[in-house]
Amino acid sequence: MPPILEIDRVVKRFGGVAAVNGVSLALEPGRIYGLIGPNGSGKTTLFNCITGVDQCDEGEIRFKGRSIERLPPHRIFHLGLGRTFQVIRVFPELTALENLLVVTTSDYAVARRRAHELLALVKLERLAGEFAGNLSYGQQKLVEFIRVLMTDPEMILLDEPAAGVNRTLLNELLDAVRRLRDQGKTVLLVEHDMKVVMGLCETVFVLDHGEKLAEGAPGVIQADERVIEAYFGR
Amino acid sequence: MKRALLAGLAVVLVALALYPMQATGYGVRTMLQLFMWVALAQSWNLISGLTGYVSFGHVAFFGMGAYTAGILIGKLGWAWPAACLAGGVMAMVLALVIGWPCLRLKGPYFAIAMLGLNEVLRVIVSYYEGLTGGGNGLSLPTLHASVPIYYAMGLVALAVTALTYLIITSRFGLRLMTIREDEVAAEAMGIDAFRHKLYAFLLSAVGPGVVGGLAARDQGYIEPLSVFPLIMTITMIVMVLFGGKGTIWGPVLGAVVLFVFQELVWARFIYLHQLFFGAIIVAVVLLMPRGILGVLQQKYNLPRTI
Amino acid sequence: MNLVITPTMVGQVVISGLLAGSLYAMVALGLGLIFGVMRVLNVAHGPMLMLGAYTTFWLFHWLGLSPYLSLLVSMPALFVVGVVLQRLLVRRVVDAPELSSLLLTFGVSIALVNLTQLAFTSDLRSVEYLTGSFLLGPFAFSKSRVIACAFAILITAGAFWFLQKTRLGKALRAVSQSREVAQVCGIDVQRIHMLAFGVASALAAAGGSLVAVMVAIQPEMGQVYTFKSFLVIVLGGAGNYPGALLGGLLLGLVEQLSSLFLTTQVNEAVAYLLLVLVLLVRPTGLLKGRSS
Repeated sequence: MPPILEIDRVVKRFGGVAAVNGVSLALEPGRIYGLIGPNGSGKTTLFNCITGVDQCDEGEIRFKGRSIERLPPHRIFHLGLGRTFQVIRVFPELTALENLLVVTTSDYAVARRRAHELLALVKLERLAGEFAGNLSYGQQKLVEFIRVLMTDPEMILLDEPAAGVNRTLLNELLDAVRRLRDQGKTVLLVEHDMKVVMGLCETVFVLDHGEKLAEGAPGVIQADERVIEAYFGR
Repeated sequence: MKRALLAGLAVVLVALALYPMQATGYGVRTMLQLFMWVALAQSWNLISGLTGYVSFGHVAFFGMGAYTAGILIGKLGWAWPAACLAGGVMAMVLALVIGWPCLRLKGPYFAIAMLGLNEVLRVIVSYYEGLTGGGNGLSLPTLHASVPIYYAMGLVALAVTALTYLIITSRFGLRLMTIREDEVAAEAMGIDAFRHKLYAFLLSAVGPGVVGGLAARDQGYIEPLSVFPLIMTITMIVMVLFGGKGTIWGPVLGAVVLFVFQELVWARFIYLHQLFFGAIIVAVVLLMPRGILGVLQQKYNLPRTI
Repeated sequence: MNLVITPTMVGQVVISGLLAGSLYAMVALGLGLIFGVMRVLNVAHGPMLMLGAYTTFWLFHWLGLSPYLSLLVSMPALFVVGVVLQRLLVRRVVDAPELSSLLLTFGVSIALVNLTQLAFTSDLRSVEYLTGSFLLGPFAFSKSRVIACAFAILITAGAFWFLQKTRLGKALRAVSQSREVAQVCGIDVQRIHMLAFGVASALAAAGGSLVAVMVAIQPEMGQVYTFKSFLVIVLGGAGNYPGALLGGLLLGLVEQLSSLFLTTQVNEAVAYLLLVLVLLVRPTGLLKGRSS
């Protein structure tokens, strides 16, 4: 099966420093991938390059076979690639429902139905009319999560989904991610919480200093000496 | 409750429609000015209140409309209704020309560009003296049309308010607001921020364009200083901030209150008046960033459509 | 429009451009500091320059103090004004959406201009101090311009020395790069903010004092400098302090060159066109600036 996302020798520099230095990854559809690495390893920068927030200096990024490295974020989204953010970015002055409604361009009635479906999925129905800024951290996290699902994207990038979230909510989120995979979607997540990564991801990529250090199943990665060194110092 | 409000609104509109029959010439001209400010404030609200992109040079569209209509009426003998509509169209063209390069970027850069726009237009007007009369100004053939212009202004004010209502209650309006809330997230969610900003900007230019033309016709004489004054931008901004940016009735409220204030104070204490406006802006930003209606909205959990 | 353009004219214009540009650079550096450190666009920057000019005027008028000596008064005075402004007002909107700081400084600028108008009226003032030109071969340069440039270079060099060599200056640059990291390193970010605003206002005041002998002084004189400072920041790249220098020189050059081919009236329009062009082509500035 052809890879759904290909990152081909991508380089991104800030000033004189290469935050991402020639990284190549290939992701098969319908699987859950993890992207880990110590702070400053380039994970978020890579995310930003993939989603068009930043433009990579060299290299190519192909989504479903199509080059996307020069496309603006909103076009990439409409191609079927969605993302969430590390720092929650719901729209605080819009209600939870409106946060969902702004996303899709389809028929209003259809959009409303889908929005209510998604809210029900994460048990936030009763908060549909509440301003997103007034919701709790966990609730906002959920809203951001279902917001990206409004257009039924084929691939979703999750930026630190477990950050600041309590155990119960986290388990709900992880279950939701597994269900997405079962539906045939591809998920790539950046995460610091090793338990989450090891328990959820089928393949893990490790970045260090902007380069790919290792790639493989969680168990293999955990035992890899280079990975341990990268995290715990030399 | 809603019925009562609509009824109230209808009464007010009827009263305003009947007003010229009872009023003096001075009264008509004063109310005409008020309508103008409502139209201006509402228009500024469309771009700056909804998307958060501060337009410091919005009076440029007013001046554009004034000169377009002035030239069409004075030099080509057009009838004023058509000329004023043309003013609106030209203002939109100007918005397109400016907005196309400048709205691609984030807020601060847009604000910078708008800051200088006013001056540039004034310079250009002075330069093309043959067409615009330059510093000597442009005179229009005399016409006593205060009453029709009263109705025209009123119509524009009503139209822009209705437009604001339509936008705020639509998904287009919601998307404009997401740009204000978090443009990066909006883009990530598939919203073409540039296009949305541009549409809002174009829509926000029409009102001032038409109203500029009407004002030109009403005054009978225009010159660069009178149609590109910074105080006009300042006043637009204060009215919207004070009443409540991003709301439908906020600009109307702000326009009414501050217009009354202006009528009482301005003629005699112009610098004090401007100073006061500056102070109000500072005070509102620090203490009441959502304006009066915004505060009421929060306190009494009112819907967004006020 | 001149039909014959000699090398001498070009040379004259280029050097004039650099002279003017050095002033722009110094004033714009101030604006750039505020933007770099606090991400605030200070619309009131021009009024600061204006107040500097008035300070120089009144000192000259009442005490006969040389405008160049008045720098010693206007710079510290406006430094204090800047610090107070930041502490009382700007501080509250540093973390608010950009819209707020823009509107706040806009309101402040209106207030300052009109306070000045109430206090001093809008009568044009001038400082008749240095007239005549220096003659250098085929070129003639107005004395006040040359000396203004010399002072601008001196003051700007001083500002850079401060930024590069002193502890506070380095702290300021650290905050410009990343506020969080700076805080973690124990830097008092609030103090740096006040310092930046103060230094910026002092630089603007210096510009005002130097310009006082060259142009008419009136309450609205600062507006055009606000816009040009913004333009310089865009040219040089936001947060790029050395970039502000190049941007200033470039602006000066472009202005003078355009006056060779077009009337001076259209000067403003040229600066504006330049801005729009740069925004279209290289939104992050001609040099590597940080995207905002």
